[in-house]
Formats: sequence, structure tokens, C-alpha cells
Amino acid sequence: MKLFSFDRQKHIAIYLACGLLAACSADLAPFGESGGRAEPVRFGAEISLGSAQANPAAPFLRAAPNGRLFAVWTEDTAHRGPKGSEHAAHHASGKMAPSPMRNLLLAASTDGGTTWSSAKRINRNNEAIQAEENGPKIAFSADDRAYAVWSIPGEKGDKTRANIRFAMDDGKGGFSAARTLNEVKDTARFPIIEFSPDGNLLIAWIDRRIDNPKPRQLYLMRVSTDGQALTKNYSAGEGLCECCKLGMAFADGGKTVYLVDRQVNEKQIRNHMLRKSTDGGASFGAPVEISDDGWQVGSCPHSGPSLGRDSRGWLHVSWFTLGRSESEAGIYYSVSKDGGKSFAPRRLVQANTAPEVLYNNLAVGADDTVYLAWTNLDPENRAQIFFRTIGADGRWGEIQQLSRAKGDASRPMLALSKKNLHVAWTETDGETSRAVLRSAPISQ
Amino acid sequence: MKIIKIAANVVSSLYRRVFALLLLFASINAAGPQASAAQLLQQASPRPGPTIGRAAVEFQLQTLEGKSINLESYRGKPLVLNFFASWCDPCRDEMPLINELAGNSDKGNYRVLGVAVEDSRAALDEYKKESHLIFPMALDLNNTVKRSYRIFGPPATFFIDAQGVLRDMVLGPLTRERALDGLGKTAAAPKN
Repeated sequence: MKLFSFDRQKHIAIYLACGLLAACSADLAPFGESGGRAEPVRFGAEISLGSAQANPAAPFLRAAPNGRLFAVWTEDTAHRGPKGSEHAAHHASGKMAPSPMRNLLLAASTDGGTTWSSAKRINRNNEAIQAEENGPKIAFSADDRAYAVWSIPGEKGDKTRANIRFAMDDGKGGFSAARTLNEVKDTARFPIIEFSPDGNLLIAWIDRRIDNPKPRQLYLMRVSTDGQALTKNYSAGEGLCECCKLGMAFADGGKTVYLVDRQVNEKQIRNHMLRKSTDGGASFGAPVEISDDGWQVGSCPHSGPSLGRDSRGWLHVSWFTLGRSESEAGIYYSVSKDGGKSFAPRRLVQANTAPEVLYNNLAVGADDTVYLAWTNLDPENRAQIFFRTIGADGRWGEIQQLSRAKGDASRPMLALSKKNLHVAWTETDGETSRAVLRSAPISQ
Repeated sequence: MKIIKIAANVVSSLYRRVFALLLLFASINAAGPQASAAQLLQQASPRPGPTIGRAAVEFQLQTLEGKSINLESYRGKPLVLNFFASWCDPCRDEMPLINELAGNSDKGNYRVLGVAVEDSRAALDEYKKESHLIFPMALDLNNTVKRSYRIFGPPATFFIDAQGVLRDMVLGPLTRERALDGLGKTAAAPKN
């Protein structure tokens, strides 16, 4: 109370000092290059994808050039034997299917994610389609044709010695029979597929055909829009962490290709790298370290980086790391403003609220806004989906919680359609799962 | 004069309010966004993780066969508690060793329990068959046990003695030497 008995001059002095302090603290704050916060994004209600009884999981979103939003996800299916009825009976008990067989489903929305077409099955044969970090992906050519990749376990059922499957829109309302892309059997997983501006598809994955010395290699393959292999499998780098997803972006009409991956060195330090190709992905230069996080771990992070490129050519990357101690653990972000030659010091998007590997995804809008989604634990120790934006002006948005999962929400996937932002994720509760989507109008 | 005095008081009061607001803003700005990850972790993680020499963290699980188990179920014999996943490369690499430990457990008077994280019953059934795994396994539904054992990714192995005290832990792949060492600390009698 004594404070309030100061005379007016002292008040003015304190006023100025506080103003200065406030200004300084805003400068020092890890978020908000220019101080204030961007407006929160207003998301609509949750929409469930797929058939609730079949445990939909691992949703992945992509907008086609015609503006339609597409989603792919996995669903449990019946035993590999003819007794399909066991499937329904098992689900009636509320437990997950006893068979690892899953279907890959596709649906489209023409109203910004509010309503969806009936789901179409992509895989013709029953396959043990992998999900989680190793989930299916889809891409669209300039003429809106769909192409899907996914991973299935190897011949002996080993998920770590797996195969990459590829199927494409057959032009008759269905999908072609899937074929395996890796030329050496039981060596490949974590596929990603992108339609390059040069008019072809580029597919990348983590490969273990050279199984010794560890760790893994980065392999690519180029495929034409009519599904013809334009290249054989080829190596674009090595030293990859064995179980973390990849990210890809293009520039210069497809001549420049960027890839991000989590590396692992001989000391088991798992930093992230950017690789750049200036010949359309045929060859890649030496990898550039995005951040020297120093996370030394012999176990599986199972959480890879995410990459996006904006209209200015800036490269945005987000990732999870524990860093050099648990106190550093969190989701981080960095940007390269020189085409991947260097990256700004990492910035904390959100610290871990508990010891847990977090999963992240990033998308960049036409107006250069960066959208970030990730998992973290809520006060009840349940994993939930969180979200924030970084405006083109550098302003960071407030952290928004998007999910209210009873069990865990995991692996968010972002996509942008013409006027909307979409976030999908998997919710698991016990042995059941659901694929969830929320959309928000955006101006870009 | 009176009007001037009133005006002065209003201005002074205004100053006080603005000052108080600024002080509040400055303190929030200083302590909020700049709060370190360490502070946040401390605030949000009141439960201690596993500590060597202390009682192992309690768990409640169900084996694949449907049997309810907890830490108490293993009292009286040392326990090798292995966290793994069917999708995890280093887990697969160490699994022959875990299986071997399980094979020797009767002679060594200890037990082995596998806890699968981020996995499904179907995948585990397949894995068990495919790799001829002989030890009991449980699914860590909703990741509750993984979180209470503070595991940042499988594999991880905990050596718990017959009294339920944690004697050793290996975060990452287990080697034969570390396994024998860990079992030795539980006073089990491992077979080479």
C-alpha cells in the first residue's frame, strides 16, 4: 500500500520503468517476434471419419487441385480367412480386431470438410496396412488423379522389414491393384508421396537394404502420372533414424527438392537434417543440420519432422526433441530464409508437460501463415492435440487445444483447402480408435 | 481549486491503476512466455519417475490372455519389466535376448513381463507367433504405464527385486552384459 503513497513524479518514473520492462520482456519472450499475438483460429465441431465399428485410424488429408478435400485412413478388417463374420462379432465386444489386416479408405469433401462422400476402398487385397507414424499418404496430380502409398509388414510379418505399396486412381472410379515399389523385398517403410511441379510423382522412404552398418538409408523413386516407374529405387542419403517419418517440399517448378529427416549418428544423437536437390531429386547435396539438439537416445523416438515452404521461398520445419536433458523436451520450430543453407536458432513451440514423445505436423498457407499442430499431455495425463499459428509478420498465435480425447489423441495431420484449414488426428481409448477432423475458415 | 484537486486525484488514481496494470502485465510477460521447459515440466509432473533404490512404480495391466496383473503380483520373485513395440527396430534387435532371459527365468528364479506400447492386440499376437516369444505380454492401453515409467520411446527395461524395489534400469537397447548386471542387482540367479 505504501507504493500508492508515492508522489506523481515517482509514479511517472515507475510508469516509464514498467513500460520499458514490459517492452524488454516482450523482446525476450520466445514467441512473438513483433510482440502481440495473432487472432485464434476458430475451428468447427469434430467430425468422425469412417466406420466407428472398424477403428478408423491414421487419417491423412490432402486437397486436390480442384479444391476438393480428400482424407485417407485405415480401418480394421476381417480375418484373412473367409470367416468375415468374426469381425463384427469381435467388434460387438468392443475390442480391437484380432487380425492385423486393415483397409485403406478414401473419402472426399466438397464443402470444406463438413460432409463427406461414402468411403472408397483403395487396397484391393487384404493387407496389414501400417498406421501410426508409418501411416498411408496420398497425393494428387494436376488433373486431380489420386495416388496412394502405404507400408505393409514383410513376408514374415515383421513391421520393421516392410514393403512400400502403391496404387493409383484407375480412371473408372476405383484404384489399380497395388504394387510394391521397393525392389529389394522386406526393406522399406515410412513412405511419403508428393506430386512434383515438374509433372511426376516423387516417392521417398526409409530403407534397410544395406542392413549393415546401421542406420538406415533414404531411398527415392520417380513415377509418372500414368504409374510407370521413371527411375529405379535410388539412394539419396544415409544415417537416418529407423522409425521417424520424412518431409518433402519443392521449389523452382520441381527442380529443387527438399527433404527432412531425423538422423542418428554413431553416438545415437538424433538431430534433424535438411537435404537439398537442384536436379529434381536425382541427387542431393550434403545434409544441413537444422538444429544441434543433442538428443542422445538408443530407443525409438517414432516422431519425425515436418516441412513446409512458403511463397517467399522460406522453409519452415517443426520437430520434437528431448534435447540434452528432459528440461528441454518439447516441440520446436525453425525457419531457413536462404533456401536451406542455414536455419535460425530453434524456437520452442510448446514445452513437454510430461515425459512423453510428442508428434507434430506443419502446413504453410498461401499467405505464408505457418500452422502448427502437435500432441502434448493435458493435466489428466492424456495426450491431446494442440495448435498455434505463426503469421507472415512473425506474430505467434496463442496455443489452442483442439481435442478433448477420453483416452489419447495422437499424430495430427494438417491440410489446407482453398478457404479452410483442416486438422485430423487419431483418438485411441483402450483398444478402440477413431479418426477425427476439425476444420476452420481461413483467409489467405 | 477544488476542481483542480479533484482532477489531480483522478489523474493520480489513473496513474495508480495504469501502473498496477503495467506491473501485472510485466510480471505475466516475464514469467509466462519465458517460463522454461524445466519449470513447466516440474509444474506438470508432480509424480516422481522410477528411481533406483526406491519402490518400483505401481502398474495395473492385463496380459494378452486376459489375466489382470500389477506390481504386487510379482512380489516374491525379481521381475524383468521390458517395454517394447512390434514396430520398433531396437526392440526387435533385443527381443531374442529378452526371450532367452524368459527361457532361463525358472532356473534363475525371476520373471519376465513384456509391456507393449502404442501397439495393438492383433499386432502383438502376430509378433508373438512370428518371433516365437515365450514370455507374458500386456498391452499398455492409453499409455498409462509408459508415462508413469517416464519412457521416451521403447525399448526400456527395468529390473525390480523380489520386494518390489527398482534395482536397475536400461533406457534403450539391452545388452547381455547389462541384463546380467541388472538381474544380479535384483539378487536373481541368471544363467549365462
